[in-house]
Amino acid sequence: MSTTTPTGTPAATADTRRGRPGRDTQRLNEIGLVGAIVVLFVVLSATAPGFLSVTNQLAILRDAATIGVVAWAMTLVIVAGEIDISIGPAVAFSSVLLAKATGEWHVPFALSVLLCLVVGLLLGAGAGFLRARWGIPSFVATLGLWSALRGLAQYMTDGLPVPLEANGFLDLLAGSILGIPTPAIVMAVLFAVFLFVANRTAYGRSVFAVGGNAEAARLAGIGVSRIRVILFATTGLLAAVSGLLLAARLGSGNGGASVGLEFDVIAAVVIGGTSLAGGKGSLLGTLLGVAFITVIGNGLVLLGVNAFFQDVVRGVIIVGAVLINVLLSNRNGARSS
Amino acid sequence: MSNTDVVAEVRAGTKRYPGVTALSDVDFAVRRGEVRALLGKNGAGKSTLIKVLSGAEHLDSGEALVRGKSLAGLGTRDVAALGVATVYQELSLVPEMTVAENLFLGAWPRSRAGLDRRRMRADAKEAMARIGVDIEVDRTVGSLGAAGQQLVEIARAVAQRPTLLILDEPTSSLAAAEVRQVIDVVRTVAEQGVAVIYVSHRMDEIRQVADTATVVRDGRIVETLPVRAASTHEIVAMMLGAAPEAVAARTRRPSAEPPVLSARGLVSDRLDGLDIDVRPGEILGIAGVLGSGRTETLRALVGLDRPAAGEIRLRGEAVRPGAFAAMLRAGLGMTPENRRREGIVPLMGVDENIVISDLGRVSRSGVLDRGAIRQAARALIDRLAIKTARPGTPIGTLSGGNQQKAVIARWLHAGSEVLLLDEPTRGVDVEAKRQIYGQMRRLADDGRAVVFVSSEMEELADVCDRIVVLRGGRAVAELSGDEIELTRVMALAIAED
Ligand SMILES: Nc1ncnc2c1ncn2[C@@H]1O[C@H](COP(=O)(O)OP(=O)(O)OP(=O)(O)O)[C@@H](O)[C@H]1O
Ligand SMILES: [Mg+2]
Repeated sequence: MSTTTPTGTPAATADTRRGRPGRDTQRLNEIGLVGAIVVLFVVLSATAPGFLSVTNQLAILRDAATIGVVAWAMTLVIVAGEIDISIGPAVAFSSVLLAKATGEWHVPFALSVLLCLVVGLLLGAGAGFLRARWGIPSFVATLGLWSALRGLAQYMTDGLPVPLEANGFLDLLAGSILGIPTPAIVMAVLFAVFLFVANRTAYGRSVFAVGGNAEAARLAGIGVSRIRVILFATTGLLAAVSGLLLAARLGSGNGGASVGLEFDVIAAVVIGGTSLAGGKGSLLGTLLGVAFITVIGNGLVLLGVNAFFQDVVRGVIIVGAVLINVLLSNRNGARSS
Repeated sequence: MSNTDVVAEVRAGTKRYPGVTALSDVDFAVRRGEVRALLGKNGAGKSTLIKVLSGAEHLDSGEALVRGKSLAGLGTRDVAALGVATVYQELSLVPEMTVAENLFLGAWPRSRAGLDRRRMRADAKEAMARIGVDIEVDRTVGSLGAAGQQLVEIARAVAQRPTLLILDEPTSSLAAAEVRQVIDVVRTVAEQGVAVIYVSHRMDEIRQVADTATVVRDGRIVETLPVRAASTHEIVAMMLGAAPEAVAARTRRPSAEPPVLSARGLVSDRLDGLDIDVRPGEILGIAGVLGSGRTETLRALVGLDRPAAGEIRLRGEAVRPGAFAAMLRAGLGMTPENRRREGIVPLMGVDENIVISDLGRVSRSGVLDRGAIRQAARALIDRLAIKTARPGTPIGTLSGGNQQKAVIARWLHAGSEVLLLDEPTRGVDVEAKRQIYGQMRRLADDGRAVVFVSSEMEELADVCDRIVVLRGGRAVAELSGDEIELTRVMALAIAED
């Protein structure tokens, strides 16, 4: 990679390995996160009873999946300079839809699952369409969904859980494969898919281009509107998947579930170094962000911190993490760009 | 002249970026009342020197001083307070705000009741009048073209009544008449004792505006000399580090082939019944003054704007106006006039910025092929001599002229049959200009159609096979082959109806 030297600049031969100030910062951030996670592990294994037990580690994996499954798609949404805040309600709505369809509406199970996925996809695509076609800011479009879906889910269930009849598929989703929780496996597979899509497909690179400069991307022939619709359709679809996992775990459709999930997902992405301004971000960073948030949440529970106060601690830690991230990139920026 | 006259100074200044040394052991000083030109190829380090003096960047070693005060640790605001006003190469206005608001960005006049809008408007009018420009101060900046925005930017700097005024390629988007205005403003300001640093790639303009010139090459200062005493040939040789190649004899070959793209009676905001024919195998120039509809013509042709009336035909077939995506698929390509806003994706690498116009070409069964991307990008980086540390370097860190070449490379990658170039040589140095002309000629010889819009009528007259002159949104004249003469083109462009 570093064999070319700039044409005609004798002074330019030195130090060609560095470069990519953005990448350097990203790398620094990732190293910092790994460090932070290691520190958390050390501290928690010393202070929190049972933190290192296999059961608890598997529980962490399972919890990570609640955030992770949607976080990959959210990373691309944020890289494109957009935001989707409808996640929590979308997940809850999807779980309700599954319970209602299989129970009250007597839809065959496989069809119900398909219905959930398709509806999730279409709802997301709808929000994306509002953004792409009429320029409604994605915050507003998904704020509408956020409110409407939560309301709808609660309305359809009168605010009560709707029981789901157990079956093999749901048991599988709620259980484990070879000892690993199924949701964690789903998360891992999706991670691989998104890693590939983001870096190795025209679609993925176009997302970065749109986030970096939408007008330039459009003039270069990228279908900006199409990309925006697909982005939100993807988060919608994955929120629905998350909803299925949730329903399987709870054994019911639950209109009041997943409150504030969007907050955790966005926090994980941002902690991972993805810029809310768009154009810049990494899935590896998000993966670490998800791990960071999940471990903190788990530790706070084990330490018996008051449930309300847990939110305070998480809020402070999240802002602190992003602050360090920003300071790092400023310092690095001042030095190298 | 005594040393107390020195307004700004750099002593043994060195500045490195990853992979490049942008300034290396530079000594530089500018005095009151002096207009100093900075000359050098793209990427020579001119903008970097300017950023150091305006506090936007800091030296790795050495010292920068303004009025005797070291700039170490100072930010742009502190340096501005010392009396430095800078017009950067890339515009820095807020498009959604009015001209008046932009002129006093962050320093809006206040009254006890908050913003004093009346005074702001009055001051704004005065500031525009001072540089002799007639632009309505209540318009939003976004509604002005590139040239209008540039003039607002200059007015803003002058309105700060600076002791050091820095202008980084202030005229690159301007036509002759506005260039004249800028030169007059600069001369007036300098007579009042202000020191001016002026970057431009246009020698004729440097001769009119500057007293002395500093030539920069590869981050080093080659020489500082009085402009009048040196010949253009000497200066260019200093910039390049070698004698410039003789300009190849002009061969104009207007094409006789049927038009590949043609428009009849286009009407829009700025167009008023425009007819134009674009033929394969030739370079078609579009000449005209500011506001004559050059950019609008390109945008309508490529389908970015939908004209209110008129017809566009591609290879003889009528096309739906405004069908941009379809036009690109059919082999059109356009480079926009505002490189920063519409051209580059700053955080992405040069390589990806180039191949983005056709990712299919560097994919295998839908999967991007890293090797193919690198290969395609390398080939074009070499072909256009783009100066970048590595193919993957973020394009936002390249010097202006090199960014421009990468944007052109994008359409070479896509293999466009019809290339519409809006001010492709804006901010490009003499050597690079020649390379770009060479590429245009090569494309035309390959049987492609090249449409070349430029405010520099000299270059249109030099390289085009045919020139269409626009005035008030219509094509008022067409010159081809030996009819093309600079004086004629100019006369036609500025004639009154
Ligand atoms: N932020 C940055 N990060 C990395 N490299 C940079 C950065 N800014 C400038 N450079 C590099 O420093 C060198 C000098 O750039 P500079 O912008 O000063 O050139 P210039 O003389 O102004 O050229 P032009 O005529 O094209 O505007 C170039 O090689 C450029 O790529
Ligand atoms: Mg420059």
